[in-house]
Amino acid sequence: MFLLGFLTRRLAQGAVIVLLVTFLIFTLLRVIPGDPVRLMVGGMAPDTLVEQIAEEMGLRDPIPVQFARYMSGVVQGDLGQSFVRPASGAAVGGAAFDDATRGERAQVLTLIAETAPYTIQLALLAMALALLVAVPIGVFAGLSPGRWPDRVALYLGSVFVSVPNFWLGIVLALVFSVQLGWLPAIGYENFAYTILPAIVLAVEIAPFIIRTLSVSVAQVMRESYIGAAAVRGLGQTRIIMAHALKNASVPLLNLLGVQFSLLLGGVLVVEFIFDYPGLGLLTINAVLQRDFPLIQGIAIVTSVAFVMINIFVDLLATMIDPRLEY
Amino acid sequence: MIKRRTFLAGAGALAGFQQLNPDFFISSAFAQTGKPITFLSAENITGNWDPTAHTTLSQKIIEGFVMGFLARAPMRPDDPGEMVYELAESMELLDGSRLQIKLRDGVTFHDGHPFTSADVKATFEYGAQPDRPAQWYPGPTDSFEVTTPDDLTVIVDTSKGGYSASLFIFLAAYLPMISAKDIAEGPSGALTQRLNGTGPFRFSEQSGNDTVLTAFDGYFKGAPKVPGVTISFVGDATTRLLSMMNGQASIIERLEPEQIETLSGRDDIRISKLVSVENKYLWFRCSKPPFDNPLLRRAACHAIDRELIYEVLGESGHPSANFISPIKFGYIDLDNYPEYDPDECQRLLAEAGFPGGQGLPDLEYITSVGFYPKTKEYGEVITAMLQAQGFPVTLNVMEVAAWNENLYDRPGGGPGHMIDCGWSTGSPEPDLVLRTHFHSGSKRITGIVDAEIDEALDRQRSASSLEERERLLQTELTPMLADKAPALSLFTSVMVHAISADLDGLFLYPDGSMDASVATI
Repeated sequence: MFLLGFLTRRLAQGAVIVLLVTFLIFTLLRVIPGDPVRLMVGGMAPDTLVEQIAEEMGLRDPIPVQFARYMSGVVQGDLGQSFVRPASGAAVGGAAFDDATRGERAQVLTLIAETAPYTIQLALLAMALALLVAVPIGVFAGLSPGRWPDRVALYLGSVFVSVPNFWLGIVLALVFSVQLGWLPAIGYENFAYTILPAIVLAVEIAPFIIRTLSVSVAQVMRESYIGAAAVRGLGQTRIIMAHALKNASVPLLNLLGVQFSLLLGGVLVVEFIFDYPGLGLLTINAVLQRDFPLIQGIAIVTSVAFVMINIFVDLLATMIDPRLEY
Repeated sequence: MIKRRTFLAGAGALAGFQQLNPDFFISSAFAQTGKPITFLSAENITGNWDPTAHTTLSQKIIEGFVMGFLARAPMRPDDPGEMVYELAESMELLDGSRLQIKLRDGVTFHDGHPFTSADVKATFEYGAQPDRPAQWYPGPTDSFEVTTPDDLTVIVDTSKGGYSASLFIFLAAYLPMISAKDIAEGPSGALTQRLNGTGPFRFSEQSGNDTVLTAFDGYFKGAPKVPGVTISFVGDATTRLLSMMNGQASIIERLEPEQIETLSGRDDIRISKLVSVENKYLWFRCSKPPFDNPLLRRAACHAIDRELIYEVLGESGHPSANFISPIKFGYIDLDNYPEYDPDECQRLLAEAGFPGGQGLPDLEYITSVGFYPKTKEYGEVITAMLQAQGFPVTLNVMEVAAWNENLYDRPGGGPGHMIDCGWSTGSPEPDLVLRTHFHSGSKRITGIVDAEIDEALDRQRSASSLEERERLLQTELTPMLADKAPALSLFTSVMVHAISADLDGLFLYPDGSMDASVATI
């Protein structure tokens, strides 16, 4: 019963958030400079043709009318067609709109479905690598507040958070791909192509995990039940693993949910540098080409993912600590 | 002391590790022998494979691998007019308005269809239709007639259009031959869906941003040595460079000057530099004030010191003083080409009624960043030089899509007052540049309408011989353009490629096209 009520409430809240985000993106795309119809019809087309096609496509209707029309398609699972991409999915440009021989446009949902798995794989690996490095450092720092492990964690986190991702990406590619020849760096052919971009993202995420974990472990270790556990004769390892870490994991879980959602929508620079064919690269090309339906589709999908991941994380948190109420 | 459970867990983990294939995680980044050529393109393609539907250079390069041409033009500076026959065995002017083309026997398209004179006729008649976006022909379909006495003979008669049939000679190096069968299928047919040519590589698939080509065993000059070519659009110059350095790419294009420096010391990479067919221009918007006044256009030209631009460009630019590249037919260093002359600039400004630039409206100079090398940098230099002479100019640097949106002329004049752009056509034919940009029937970027220029363009097009045409180009048309200055050609681009040292036998054309039919890797 709790589960049903929880899901109903959170999904309803999530739907409102997605609707607001979609409306915001939809509106912003239509008020910024740059007319997508001009790109579609070609630079030499007269303004009258631009206006005629824009009106035929409904792009000159009031924004709320356009939004209502768009959402009626979205609720039926239709995110529309790309303005510029052909069904092959290639990033394109330069053709004329009134060219009757132009190929069919790609479905937005298909483009997202083809690229999202690459980004999910990248995000999962980045998260795994970040946890692998950050959890031991964060736990040791939390167990030794004010002492050298804590200071090392602080300095390391500061260094990691200060490194620009584009710079790190280029350096890693130069060292591991160009100099050592251990890893491929550009594009995607197999799993190995995910490793370098994942390391860059892991370095971005790790400082937040280290800080969150060190603070929450330090806090938990000061709780009275930890002292009581030692009195009960439990060993230090057992106290840390079974009691301290479990209780310290709730804030970490929330952080991981947010970070994973951010990764899905925020891997733009890293995917661009490594030419990694995920949602980030798709988004960059869509923005450069003013491909409104594709940008909107990506925004909706990532906001839905954000909402769903956070609902799942909150649910998990209440299972770990039943006192929590979301 | 090791517990039994700990020991078993450790032993199990060790056994499991030995079963893992580490190749799954880590594979060598270095190039393997016998693999396809991987070319990283700086520009994306269009959504339409019809060769007459675009003027996009990256797609022309792909067509160069797949499609067949009657002849190819190597366009080297020592012999710019050289033509090497491919699908044609000979081209002969029967008289001023009739060109006879004899075709090679035994050539087939990738779909197995034989290549005959019917395909040439269909290609010419289809490509010259007024609604085709790539307008490369000297006149529309109804201005010439193509007859096919037999399967291997084509006669092009241009007497209806009143221009010389010799114009089709240089065009032969630029027009990919399309199957008549594909053309007959119409707009919704195979023509838009894939490339079907007679070239050394057949179109296999478009997978995302990768165009995959495989060797065509039935190629009339013999099967290619490499199994295929993959052309990938990679928008970032640094990413392309890294791909070259780690061996993932076999060839990359449009290197920035500092990238040339980075790569030139390496044994595994060689640098190819070719004076290209591409000139870079400062185009004036001639159909609206103030640059509808030729005095002001010339004043602006005299304000620009091109020597400073060459310094910014380094190895990416080649000096030239004409509106076409030095490797185009009819090139000559023009005596009256506008050179840097501040006094002449001020004199012209005063004559135009704007002494010292006073009274001029605010001017916008549009350029792009991300495609051509150093556009932003030399754009800033040009802006400063114009400002120094009193032109109230603001530089507007745009990303490529926005710049493309603003590039062309439109009714009432294109956006801004000046815009930067290059123009590259893989043929020695000068009209592919001159007529396209300066005839009032096209006026693609400048918007210029000038009866005298139209007449000069038509006169050289209608010349009875190549010698006469060359004379008219060099003594009448291009000097007139230098006087009226609808644009200023800043320099000729140097096409710089980085090529894997183990890739041999690749021939590069000055428009960026490649012949990999005998290449090995």
